[in-house]
Amino acid sequence: MTTTVTIHIDGVPYAVPDGMNLVDAARIYAGVEIPIFCYHPKMKPVGMCRMCLVDLGFEVRDRATGELALNPDGTPQVRWGRKLETGCTTTVRAGMYVRTRTEQVQEARRDVLEFLLSSHPLDCPVCDKGGECPLQNLTMRHGPGTSRMAYDDKLHLDKHVPLGDLIYLDRERCIQCARCVRFQDEVVGDDVLAFHERGRRLQIITTSTPGFDTYFSGNTTDICPVGALTTADFRFGARPWELTNVPSISPHGPVGENIALSMRLDRDSGGVQVIKRVIPRQNEDVNEIWISDKTRFGHHFTLSPDRLREALARKRGELTPVALDDALKAAAKALKEAGNSVGFIGGPMTSNEDFFALRELAAHVGSRKLGLWPATLGDAAPAAEVGIASGSRLTELGKGDAVLVVASDLEEEAPIWFLQAKQAADRGAALIVANLRETKLDRYASRTVRYGLGGAVGFLDGAASDETLAQAANLVVFVGNEGLGADEHGVLLRAAANLLITTGHAGRRNNGLIPVWPGANTQGGFDLGFESAATRAMLQSAPDVLIVVGADVAETPAGAAALDAAKFVIALSLFPDATTAKADVVLPIQSFAERDGTFTNAMRRVQRFYTAQGPVGESLPAWQVIGLLGQRLGMDRPRRSAALVMKALAESVKLYAGMSYPALAEAAVQTPPIGISPGFYGGTAAAPTGGTGLQWPSKAESRAKLSVTPVEAPQAVHAGAGELVIVPLRRLYDRAPEFFASAVMHGRIPQPFVALHPSDAARLGAVDGGRVKLSAGGASLDVTAVVDATAPEGLALLPQRLAPGAFPQEPVAGRVEPVAEAVAAD
Amino acid sequence: MNVIRGFATTLKYLFQQPATIQYPDEERPPRERYKGRHALKRYDNGLEKCIGCSLCAAACPADAIWVEAAENTDEERYSPGERYAKTYEINMLRCIFCGYCEDACPTEAIVLEHEHRLSFTNRRDAIYTKAELLDPPPAGLEGTPRQTEPGVYTRSIPEMKNPA
Ligand code: SF4
Ligand code: SF4
Ligand code: SF4
Ligand code: FES
Repeated sequence: MTTTVTIHIDGVPYAVPDGMNLVDAARIYAGVEIPIFCYHPKMKPVGMCRMCLVDLGFEVRDRATGELALNPDGTPQVRWGRKLETGCTTTVRAGMYVRTRTEQVQEARRDVLEFLLSSHPLDCPVCDKGGECPLQNLTMRHGPGTSRMAYDDKLHLDKHVPLGDLIYLDRERCIQCARCVRFQDEVVGDDVLAFHERGRRLQIITTSTPGFDTYFSGNTTDICPVGALTTADFRFGARPWELTNVPSISPHGPVGENIALSMRLDRDSGGVQVIKRVIPRQNEDVNEIWISDKTRFGHHFTLSPDRLREALARKRGELTPVALDDALKAAAKALKEAGNSVGFIGGPMTSNEDFFALRELAAHVGSRKLGLWPATLGDAAPAAEVGIASGSRLTELGKGDAVLVVASDLEEEAPIWFLQAKQAADRGAALIVANLRETKLDRYASRTVRYGLGGAVGFLDGAASDETLAQAANLVVFVGNEGLGADEHGVLLRAAANLLITTGHAGRRNNGLIPVWPGANTQGGFDLGFESAATRAMLQSAPDVLIVVGADVAETPAGAAALDAAKFVIALSLFPDATTAKADVVLPIQSFAERDGTFTNAMRRVQRFYTAQGPVGESLPAWQVIGLLGQRLGMDRPRRSAALVMKALAESVKLYAGMSYPALAEAAVQTPPIGISPGFYGGTAAAPTGGTGLQWPSKAESRAKLSVTPVEAPQAVHAGAGELVIVPLRRLYDRAPEFFASAVMHGRIPQPFVALHPSDAARLGAVDGGRVKLSAGGASLDVTAVVDATAPEGLALLPQRLAPGAFPQEPVAGRVEPVAEAVAAD
Repeated sequence: MNVIRGFATTLKYLFQQPATIQYPDEERPPRERYKGRHALKRYDNGLEKCIGCSLCAAACPADAIWVEAAENTDEERYSPGERYAKTYEINMLRCIFCGYCEDACPTEAIVLEHEHRLSFTNRRDAIYTKAELLDPPPAGLEGTPRQTEPGVYTRSIPEMKNPA
């Protein structure tokens, strides 16, 4: 518990927490803005820019008696410092006096700004930051008005330096605050940006080859207090004041990053609203103010020309565009004939409203086949029991706490959690990373554990006896499914629950299990009764009619076979894909940007996204399409809005009780308030308008009696003679249409490849960079071999969704054979 | 008496030159500072002055201007520096000819000229596009976009004067 002390700012006493940064304390408790450039509340202060100079003093106490020395008029005596001091490197303590408005302080600010501008190009009219630029704002507020420097003396540096494919640097505009350098170093842990040269020539360089390409590079453009860093995607897209920020949630991955979509009309797109850029929206419980580059740049799919624009139905064997009504009619006819032999599969971007509509339709036709895609996930019940407690913040983990990551490559699967786990380790938390291969998080781990295929459960089962984990003040366990079969994944989740229960961590704030799900709303699917296991059952024996929503079921051989086996397939999809190609009726649906809805992230936080742009073609929100289908089967008319669907959902699903749209739209107070306009801390993060979401409590929190269920690891996959076990991996950048539509990212998406251990490669005759054919379970893929000493022996690590074609998504035994190089064509 | 004075005045004006002119047969040159239809100006070398900064649109009280910017390359250069106006439109039905846009422009690219004969038969035609607004390149010079030597046109704001 921090104690409160009294400090005086500009003569007024304020009670502030002891040891808080002076700039933050003044901002939050006194509403006094001490201007800053280099300081950022998410990074350590460095005192580089001198903008925050203040007059600092302390009350005088009599040495002998400890009594306050008083002036004749009875006010306490204050001994003021001889020079001004930087506020950002000062922490508050009792008896502190601060003056922020004296002539001396104002002169210091004027001088700092005059110097900063001495070589600044002053090209605000063409600068992407112009209009939301801290340098502009502070110059207007505190600057000198005119400069005594000769314009001819300005030092001219390069204005167009690509640091990588995505980030451009303007060296003239840089004010050397080192925010970008420190972000890469302190936050990301990949210090690829650095200063070069000295004095006025001091400039940012990148030390990485190839280019500046971390998964977080876009964040540097947000926190840069000038327009020195810009993104290739947005460059000159609009002036900030022309943009309307619509609150939204990232549709990529389980973190549920809070974002704002900056919208503007666009002539090239036919004069409609388009997403010009994606910026973070502050939510300290989720993504703070960071977003991954996938979220930032992966929005182009919403307006991709490949999107499905009209309904299709099979006529004489061919999928033909038809009126929506006719497509619905055909689908309803098939549903009527099928009775209750109807299966439902929802994909990773399916919203809670969509799942609920599916559930209602299922109840109406009397089916219980509610499936979730992908089909590779275990039972999620442990997550509902001991899932991370409500109100937990990964940012609060530190010394004495422990973070355990099992079977997940966090950087690839949930980049924001990678940052937060890494920073928890920096603050002193024990970070234990267990996986069957080396991952990037290993670098920051206090301990890494390597287990063989099928060894994850054994490791986690024995982990309760581990001192670090058992004695940790707080324990957070991330469980992924890398290298696991579906059953094994379920058992591993159960083992994690056991660990949390036996070590007494379950149900406490900042403790619990975080399942690293594959999709933005996988958790919501589970909450509404959809199961990956149900999907597996449907793949085994297909129902007569399959309704697939936003899931490319045909990306696995078993899925493709099930689509063939079903008599009638109704696909609701954003894009034409292998699944819609096998469907009998294809109905276009809207993406997250075109409709209202909610996603539940893997920490069980239900979060709202809002309509930002108009519909594409004839697409409708999935819940509405499903509702129209239901209406033809005798159900009520579809509800008139997503809000009404959510209302009904909240009334019928106990976990979501009270989660109406208005409740979800409430924003929790964010401290420090980084994302507020006009952005005191400088940076392009939006305020938490639109809501910070609500979490439903895990069972453990409700003091329910939880018991440990003994676990047993299922049989691991064994490779036969001449075979390897092919282990699919999730990679952040893949070729799924929801991401590949972002052309700006193509340079960063690898060619389809498989990683092999050198000894396996040698044995199979595969060479690094040569082509190999993978075959397993009746499917085959043609990919490039990458010989990688970190790949475990006997395994072939195959990133998913890079190569076209169906392939199993669980570890399978298969063959890897070099392909004779075709005639050197291309 | 007053009646006679009135008739006298009428009689006097009967023999004076009338003030009315027979527009359009006859035209009077507009005043120097008359604010008529806008033109987008070019530098003497033929490059466009407009850098697509949208400040005119921000200043416009009638919300009549629409600007979309894009990036210059040395292969395809419209204006000096990195940025140019890809789309530039003024809706003359909305414009109130206040000239604020001219004041706001950092490069003196948009200027209200003397042209005042604006008529349209439909609303769409009232929106003047960049092609209509842009002055032709000076005689004998290539227009835009054009290929330029790398490293020459790196800055978009004209040189500023030293403080006095
Ligand atoms: S590029 Fe921006 S963030 Fe980086 S040092 Fe320069 S001004 Fe600071
Ligand atoms: S003259 Fe005034 S009203 Fe017309 S476009 Fe310019 S700023 Fe707008
Ligand atoms: S006319 Fe002037 S103010 Fe308007 S966009 Fe062009 S350069 Fe900017
Ligand atoms: S020195 Fe304090 S903000 Fe830069």
